Order: sequence, then C-alpha cells, then structure tokens
Amino acid sequence: MNNIKQETTISESTDKHLTSQLMPRVIVCLDVDKGRVVKGTNFKQLRDMGDPVELALDYEAQGADELVFLDISASNENRPTALKLVTDIATHLSIPFTVGGGLKKLDDVKAFLDAGADKVALNTTAVLQPDIINQTALAYGSQCVVVAIDVNKQKEQLGLYINGGRKLVDKNFFEWTDEVADRGAGEILLTAMHKDGTGSGFDTALTRQVSEQISIQVIASGGAKNEEHFLQAFQQKADACLAAGMFHSGEYSVIQVKEYLKAQGLNIRLS
Amino acid sequence: MKKILIIDTRAGNLFSLKAAIDRLGFNTTIRSTPDHEKFDGIVIPGQGRFGTVLNNIRADGWEDYLNLAYQQSIPMLGICVGMQIFFEHSDEDKESTGFCWMKGKAEALNFPKKPMVGWAPLTSEQWPSSPVYFVNSYAIRKSEHSIATTTYGETFCAAVKSGSFTGVQFHPEKSSKAGSSIIQQALSGLEN
Repeated sequence: MNNIKQETTISESTDKHLTSQLMPRVIVCLDVDKGRVVKGTNFKQLRDMGDPVELALDYEAQGADELVFLDISASNENRPTALKLVTDIATHLSIPFTVGGGLKKLDDVKAFLDAGADKVALNTTAVLQPDIINQTALAYGSQCVVVAIDVNKQKEQLGLYINGGRKLVDKNFFEWTDEVADRGAGEILLTAMHKDGTGSGFDTALTRQVSEQISIQVIASGGAKNEEHFLQAFQQKADACLAAGMFHSGEYSVIQVKEYLKAQGLNIRLS
Repeated sequence: MKKILIIDTRAGNLFSLKAAIDRLGFNTTIRSTPDHEKFDGIVIPGQGRFGTVLNNIRADGWEDYLNLAYQQSIPMLGICVGMQIFFEHSDEDKESTGFCWMKGKAEALNFPKKPMVGWAPLTSEQWPSSPVYFVNSYAIRKSEHSIATTTYGETFCAAVKSGSFTGVQFHPEKSSKAGSSIIQQALSGLEN
C-alpha cells in the first residue's frame, strides 16, 4: 500500500500549482497539569507557567492562529476539572483550540467536544484502537479529528511511539500516516521526537515527505527555537507549525514570528 | 438587550457559538423546536452534513418558521452548512433539496488537501479583507448574492447576502475580532 502511494505522490504534486489563499498557521501548544499550564524542566519537575484561560487569551491577542492543550485530561480523577477548564476556555477564546492527552474512548471524545473543544488530538488511543478515528470522524466530522503522531528517527530508521514517546510500536510510520488519513482524520500533528528540545528546527524533510504523501493538512512539531525554523518548515510544505517553549519562555512572541514570516513573503495573518 | 435564537440542528455542540454571540452583548437562546417567542435575530449553526441538517430542521418544524422569518426580514446568520441549506442542492447529499432562497449548489472543493482548514482573507467590496477561519470540504462556487469570496483551488463564495439573511462559509465564532464584527453586523440587521 505504501509503495503505491509513494508513486502517486508525483502526479498529485502537479496539482499544487492550484492557487490557494489559505494561510500557513502558527499554533501554540500549552501543556496542562491540574488546571495549570506547566513546562517540564526535567523528567519530573514541572514549572507553573500560569492560568490556561489567561495565557490562551494572551496568545490569541498575539495573533496565534490556533491553540493546542495537551495532557489536559491525562488522569481520570481530574476529569470534571478538565472539562470545566475546556468550557472556560471555550467561553472566552475566539480562535479554534484542540485538546488532547488521555482520551481513551469515544465517550471521552464526546465529553471534550461537548465541553466546547473544537478538535481532539488522538495519539496512543488512535494507534491502539484505530477505529476511534473513523468513529469520531463519522459522529463529529473529520475537522474534529487531529491525529498526533510521535516519530523518532534513529540510525535513519523512523520509529512510531506511543504513551508520550515512551513505547515503540511495531507499525510502519508511513503506512500509519496513510492509514490515519484514509480513516478520516482532518489533520496530522507530526511530532519529530528526535528534534524535540534540540532547538535545531523542525524536521523539514520529513514534514515535506508526509505533506506530499497524504491529502490532509500536516502540522509540524518539535525543534522550533526561532522564527527561521518556521519559515523553513513552511517552505517545505508544512501547513501549520506548532511550538511551545520558545513562546512560553518569552523569547519570542507569536507576533514577532508572524511579522518575520510576512516580511519573508509568506501569506500570514496578522491580527 | 437583543434576543438571539440559535437553532439546534442536532449536528454538534453549540457551546462556543453561543459564547461568541453572548460576548457581543446579545442574549442568546438555543432551541431545538420553534415556539411563539419573538427573537431579534436567528443563527443557523455550521455543523453537520447538508442532508442531515436539512432532515433535522424539517423534522423539528423549523421550515415554515424560517421561511416566515425571511419574509419578515428578521436578521439571520447562516454559518457554513447553515448557509448552504438555503441554496438549492449540495454534492455532499445529492438527493436533498435545500430551502432554495438562493440559486446554486454546494460543490466539493477542488484542492488536493481536504478539508480546507485554517485562515484565509476575504475579497470583498463591502467587508474588510481580514482573514477568517474556514473548515469545509464543500462550498458555493458562484452566486449572484455573493458579497465576499476567497480561493482554495477555485474561488468560492465566502459570504452571501439575500434580504435579511447573511450567509458565511467560514466560522465567524472562531475568527477572533474579524469574526465578531461580522456576527455583530449580521445580527444587528445593519446594512453593510
């Protein structure tokens, strides 16, 4: 299946001259733990970065195109708190947001969408029970389904990981990206674990390869440290780029990055 | 405070739409069946398939209600599929017939990546060009009622206006400030 897809990539890419006014998106990711936005400094210590609603509104004001909240629902005991937080965010925010982390069944998806989330990000659950992609797309539409894929490149081999990057699964990465699109996902959030935390930029070659292979949007994630990294990824066919640390640390504001991209000739939304 | 009705088409959660309209200072009510209460504006939400939304709206008794509201020039805002159903047909569900307030049909977008997801600017003589947020696989390509367009593969109607009805293919409730002013304008019944 994979081989056939690789060949059709060439003929599909001839369509790419089609004009589009759709703008490359800059997405900010917020990790949430016990109702607060946190930043992992090392394996166990989490630093409190602030109130999710306040930070979300600040990023909207800075011109973020979307937000992603991860691990919001990781533990079941905190479920009511997590749902209330999602509702608080939806009450105040007027840009789209995705929630992910710990969604294990269709009921979880329903609960978070009902609470006001625009999309859910499915990762481990999508790998273990891929039918949930079809079920969610059927019940709520493809636009609600973001499949998050954690990939790690070691010795030129691409490994697919689950459980927050802790467990390697026996599944071919490119077959999985195809399958995810075929099952009805609306977007893929592609995190290059080998780039995460390096500050050396997104894995642009991989982003391009996936983006050309599948017929849904690809969000590049992992490795961004400056505005040039965004430019490089967008030039290599990323439909959107996601970053966390460089924005949370205050090193860069979203508007700085977007003004740079605009100055480089990209079609960028400045709020 | 102006009273706004959101029609529950049983095709998705309406929480953030209600929140967006409430933030503008309207008093918003969600109803799944019509009654005799008078509203200053009506919103038809943008979730679900063409055929399903039409079936639900008709089964719940909204067809006469909406036709009457249109005749009475009550400000209305239709979002995404909530705009498309007031045209004639859609390639999404070919056997369904819309309200036919406007001529034309929704067709599949002609672009390698679908759905279209994200922000795109408007080309319009009446509205600012500020980008708004689109999520769709189908669109009305041409209409005499078009007041704004955008391009994704082909150019399509981003917004239409017919009498007191404003239809938008994008999601103003997710389009930050640009979206808020469009909701405000459509529901206040202001001329563009």
